[in-house]
Amino acid sequence: MRIKNITWTDPKLQILTLPLLVVLFLFFLIPFAMTVMLSFQITKYYQVVWSWDLTTWKDVFTHSYYWVIMARTLKMAMICVVLCVSLSLPVAYALVNRIPSMENHVKILIVFAFLADAILKTFGWVLFFDRSGVLNGFLEMLGFGPAASDILFTPTAAIIGMVYNLLPYTIFTIYLSMARIDRDLIAAAYDSGASKFRTFWEITLPLSKPGLLAGAVLVFVLGLGAFLEPKIMGGGTAPLAAELIRQTFETRVNWPLGASLTILVIGIGALTLIFFGYLLIKLTKLQENTT
Amino acid sequence: MSYYRFETRLANFILYGSVIITLVFFYIPIATLVAFSFTESRFLTFPIEGFSLKWYGALFAEKNFLPALWGSLKLAFIVTILSTILGCAAAVAWMRFKFRFQRTFQALTFAPLLFPQLMLGVVMLLWFSILGNFFGFSMSLWSAVLGHVVYITPFALIIIAVQIHGFDDTLEDAARDSGCSNWEVLREITIPILWPGIFSAGIFAFLLSWGNFYLTYSLSGTSRTLPTFVFSGIANGSSPIFPALATLTFIPAMLLVGLADFFRRRAADRLKSGPTDI
Amino acid sequence: MTAPIIDVKSLDKFYQSYQALYNITLSVEVGEFIALVGPSGCGKTSLLKILAGFEDFNSGTLKLEGKDMREVPPSERPTRMVFQKLALFPHKTVFDNIAFPLKIAKRPKIEIDKKVRQMLELMHLKEEYLNRYPAQLSGGEQQRVALARSLVSSPSILLLDEPLSALDVKLKKSLQAELKRLHRIVGTSFVHVTHDLEEAMMLADRICVMKDGHILQIGAPNDIYYRPEHPFVAGFIGETNLLPTKLTYDENGANFATPGINCNAPIVPAPQLATSLDSNQALLMIRPELISINANTTKDCQMKGEVTEFFVKGATIQYRLRVLGLENEITVDTPSTAEVPISVGQAVRLDFDLNDIFILGA
Repeated sequence: MRIKNITWTDPKLQILTLPLLVVLFLFFLIPFAMTVMLSFQITKYYQVVWSWDLTTWKDVFTHSYYWVIMARTLKMAMICVVLCVSLSLPVAYALVNRIPSMENHVKILIVFAFLADAILKTFGWVLFFDRSGVLNGFLEMLGFGPAASDILFTPTAAIIGMVYNLLPYTIFTIYLSMARIDRDLIAAAYDSGASKFRTFWEITLPLSKPGLLAGAVLVFVLGLGAFLEPKIMGGGTAPLAAELIRQTFETRVNWPLGASLTILVIGIGALTLIFFGYLLIKLTKLQENTT
Repeated sequence: MSYYRFETRLANFILYGSVIITLVFFYIPIATLVAFSFTESRFLTFPIEGFSLKWYGALFAEKNFLPALWGSLKLAFIVTILSTILGCAAAVAWMRFKFRFQRTFQALTFAPLLFPQLMLGVVMLLWFSILGNFFGFSMSLWSAVLGHVVYITPFALIIIAVQIHGFDDTLEDAARDSGCSNWEVLREITIPILWPGIFSAGIFAFLLSWGNFYLTYSLSGTSRTLPTFVFSGIANGSSPIFPALATLTFIPAMLLVGLADFFRRRAADRLKSGPTDI
Repeated sequence: MTAPIIDVKSLDKFYQSYQALYNITLSVEVGEFIALVGPSGCGKTSLLKILAGFEDFNSGTLKLEGKDMREVPPSERPTRMVFQKLALFPHKTVFDNIAFPLKIAKRPKIEIDKKVRQMLELMHLKEEYLNRYPAQLSGGEQQRVALARSLVSSPSILLLDEPLSALDVKLKKSLQAELKRLHRIVGTSFVHVTHDLEEAMMLADRICVMKDGHILQIGAPNDIYYRPEHPFVAGFIGETNLLPTKLTYDENGANFATPGINCNAPIVPAPQLATSLDSNQALLMIRPELISINANTTKDCQMKGEVTEFFVKGATIQYRLRVLGLENEITVDTPSTAEVPISVGQAVRLDFDLNDIFILGA
């Protein structure tokens, strides 16, 4: 497909891009800029006072309470990344190499599960894990005794919830990467005497790196902002950054503080993104050069 | 030779097993909700006592429910149309043209996707609050619309962009060669071929908006939408009404996804080329 | 006589309900270069994949080096394949690509290093390529790396899946010569799949012509060219004359009668009769270059005809002629001269020898 050069003076380009740009500018960039600005203000008696200084930021960086929460958030996000990537690898591989006929149906099922409302699904999990819920009911039927599992309201439950919501992203990105691998490469590896696992390790996995990386970054960045799962399924026992931010806005009505915390989280996400995005581009360039 | 056999069996076990486990995993909460929606008793305990449809009735009887449902539907429709159009336009700008600052444009239109939704909601909430104080309006459905559009357009964009990626523009040349005007080329060739992507994007946008919690919760203010209905409801105490609600929201979603798949497959069949070599 | 290195007997292959191979029987000797030739869809690639182990077969037997290969995976066969799209690992260097089979076989590093360098030399590749990636090499160089990778572990059978079909003519010609040279040096048995019969004739010791899942003929290039058992084989390469003829048998042997052809004694020499003749309606084949126009001496048979067209083809001039009594046009190739000696419309005398004809079933 030919790519045509075009300039900003051409009305065609203007029509295509300006509406969206206007919307994004007004309702994305400006709010974001405003949040940045807010972080440089302070609050007095539940009112924002516009005094351009670093008091709020100093607050953020000196109180260990915030650091603990940030560290915990980062840790949870990383755990999610590891879990999501590991669980997605076999699924993506199976979708590409094992079930060509069912492939689309499975994809549909996954997409659908992904699109249902987050809060309802979390509620569903609560019902499942509850003391008198489905899981315990099944375990009881199997003879494990009543209230055998007590996962609800623990960090484990929060992680299960987060992985649940983030898994489709990694499945999708890794699937895309794997699907692009030339089947002949795998055949050539077999032909050279490699076993299936060896071929996976030497050929499939390295060539899926772009998808792995993209998925990991996505999950990490989105995991940073996790709110529902830790709160509802984790019982709010170990609050994460998003919960903290919400509290700061709603309960403590300290907008500048909330703003700076938000910027902090977004900043970490953005840095991760830029760094790994750059890595990703370099990787894809190397591998795009196939005959 | 037996190692090969063993390895194949093990690999198949892992692969098929993981797919099955993943599917089961995905549907546990959904199945739980659907099952519980039919319970007779007021309490959500397992095993389910009795089978009854009364909670569906109770749901509709709730005075806040229908307005909330209607609110979410309105929201989803508007967002779908806006996101699909904007996403389509942006996708064309992404894929078919080259212009100065294109990379910036791409980064900007893609960025909202990467924002944790709550952050996006918070940031926009702040802005709308300030605007509201200044201009004298409060959060309503329209603030939610804007929030959704910002977040969902990148998804629509990507889906349509993928469709454009495989687009063979020599077909347009052939049409122009046969005497079609630009508008006719668009109508007869370009849009029909891109239609599966556009349609899928629309469905995706609708479902994303319909099922969205974070943004709607932050931005819809006092207007009634399903997420606020559910959240406040659950806060007050769980009841089988919510599983019933869940099941109701799943049904249109399932139908739409099935419909989109049907159209996609039909379009793919039509584009399939000749016999393959042995 | 040593046992064949590839021994295929009565092999059938179905893809669902579609039969791709019918009763294939083929044996390849050690060190032989055999080509599988045919149009798209004839099953040659399927057969190759079956030999490699990438496809299974439904009935019949396949033995490689005397061992039954049913259920044996590709990684455990004595075969190595060169893929049509080369399948060089894009994320590995040239060295790692070539060394791959040896690394899998857990050979010691010193041996791997030595063998890779041997391959480099054999393939006329420069040493500085070792650290480059496939994408940085030209098409011809990539081909040679692919060949190197296949040969580095000294397999006894090399399978080539149309490796030259995507190349431009010049590159193709030089690589064809390379392949022939390689075969002489290395001594591995080569099975080469191609749709280009000319290429097959250049390279192979024996050619196996396939069509629609059947083997039509297996033979040395000369046999295929001058003694095709099947009209399809006759017409598959170059141009030829196929004239309907009627056979009668008497104490001298087979007599043929074709309107327009006058022979002193129209008896077909025994080797020029196809073995698969099953009726008296047959085809007489004679290659265009074996007919002389207005020759000084007369040969066994003559025709009288009129030139309808001619084509200057560089080394040869090709004439089309209408012969009295014959429905088909005759094609004759003569060595080229600076000026075209014969013009359209001219009446000429055509001569050919009985030893140059071939009678095959219709």
